Amino acid sequence: MAVSDVSFELFEGEILGLIGPNGAGKTTVVSLISGTIAPSAGKVLFQGAPIAHLPAFRRSRLGIGRTFQLMKPFPGLDVLDNVAVGALFGTDGGKSRLRHARDDAAYWLDFVGLTHRAKQRADELGGPDRKRLELAKALAMNPRLLLLDEVMAGLHHVEIDEVVAIIKKVRGRGITVLLIEHVMRAIQSLSDRVLVLHHGNKIAEGTSETVLNDPKVIDAYLGSRRK
Amino acid sequence: MIGRYYWPTLAAVLVVFAALPWIAPPVLIQFGTTTLLLATLAQSWNIIGGYAGYASFGNSVFYGIGGYGTAVAMVQFNLPFGIGLLIGSLLAVVFALLLGLPVLRLRGHYFAIATLALAEAMTGVVSNLDIAGRNIGLVLPLRKDDAFFYELSLGLVVLVTLAVFWISRSRFGFGLIAIREDEDAAGVMGVNTTLYKSTAFALAGLFSAMAGGIHAYWITFIDPASAFDITLNVMMIIMAIFGGAGTILGPLVGAVLLASISEVLATEVSAMASLFFGLVIVVAVIFMPRGLADLTRRFPGLGWRYFRENLRLHRL
Repeated sequence: MAVSDVSFELFEGEILGLIGPNGAGKTTVVSLISGTIAPSAGKVLFQGAPIAHLPAFRRSRLGIGRTFQLMKPFPGLDVLDNVAVGALFGTDGGKSRLRHARDDAAYWLDFVGLTHRAKQRADELGGPDRKRLELAKALAMNPRLLLLDEVMAGLHHVEIDEVVAIIKKVRGRGITVLLIEHVMRAIQSLSDRVLVLHHGNKIAEGTSETVLNDPKVIDAYLGSRRK
Repeated sequence: MIGRYYWPTLAAVLVVFAALPWIAPPVLIQFGTTTLLLATLAQSWNIIGGYAGYASFGNSVFYGIGGYGTAVAMVQFNLPFGIGLLIGSLLAVVFALLLGLPVLRLRGHYFAIATLALAEAMTGVVSNLDIAGRNIGLVLPLRKDDAFFYELSLGLVVLVTLAVFWISRSRFGFGLIAIREDEDAAGVMGVNTTLYKSTAFALAGLFSAMAGGIHAYWITFIDPASAFDITLNVMMIIMAIFGGAGTILGPLVGAVLLASISEVLATEVSAMASLFFGLVIVVAVIFMPRGLADLTRRFPGLGWRYFRENLRLHRL
């Protein structure tokens, strides 16, 4: 069992950081919320309504968007059309006309700074640009809740700052964010609250100062990362 | 690829094809009819295999159902051809939807294997149906009018190609492509994957069945072995991929070229025809794995490097 006995709330408009060592079950939590995997027990509520029985596409129409840690671009489509898929099928059923979806896609490419790559095939992008593409695809769905699974992994300092700035802009639009990240600098500057998973269990929850100074958390996860 | 001459060229080609019965000898018209029906099958396969990315080996079953639906309606119930064709097509659509629900849950090789078994199963079922003439088959009423069947087949190719054209620039088509490229990501982005896959399968079934109905009436005979012939399914896959799966015109060009090559080889070097045909396929797959469509798009820029790069991709 990847996660058990983990319960938490996400409040509208907040950024909740989700941290923990590799294998702690962070991605599993995201997959349970987005519907990529089904829970064997437990409840998932979104805006007060249970959604655990819904297939992934229904949840995305309710307004749940996610990125994948192992990025999943549509390699055969160009970058613009990758994002257009999000606009075509996103929240509330999305846009029905391709032309409108492409207009939306162009807007989101600009938002994440990928406009200059619009006509390239998605599999020609390098790592950092793929991260941005994942973000743009999810944003084009016009989500109310955005689940970000390590969108900064493998980026260098400048690139991390750029993505942090993008996520701040996202929050500014009233989108709730669940942020999985190993980059503590980003977690500290973005999160309103932080949740720590270890071996599939919740070991701490609270503001980033409290959590990051919690001896249990230092012991399980941060120990090796401090200094 | 869409330039200034795209539409005029396409229209001219269509006019030449439509005029063929008035200018060409009967042998060519018969060859043309066969080729157009194969092109229809390749294009139908393109919907489920090329766009949705599900390599179906069950499309020849739809072809067989369409043929049998038409034959049974005409022979056992004395219904006109049009009604028979409609019944056969509807049967295939219903079959595709019922079958799609369980089978389309399988991915990759498992889906291919499951559909591969279908043809065998259908041969067995139909061989034991009295109404379908058991394993002896049915003889349909004769209509000696090759031009009629040729034009009908041409119309069907145009119809299925228009459908693919619409798919390629619609929300539905983008959903299918998303499924092909990454089904999990497609679902998370709001694509109703089950509905889309089933619809694509049913569309492929519809057009394949119509080809089967026309073929049965044209040949005036249908039996289980010819109706559910798996080599036909292999042919349509090869033609679609040779021309370019997931493109609008690729499968048509692939069908016409391969059917012509196969025909020439059969008359020139009859004994070794299938060997040469196999060679053509192997060479094509190695040097242009993404089909003619990709070749025409990228060869002008890359030149001979195009083939070298493909060769390197195979790590040969």
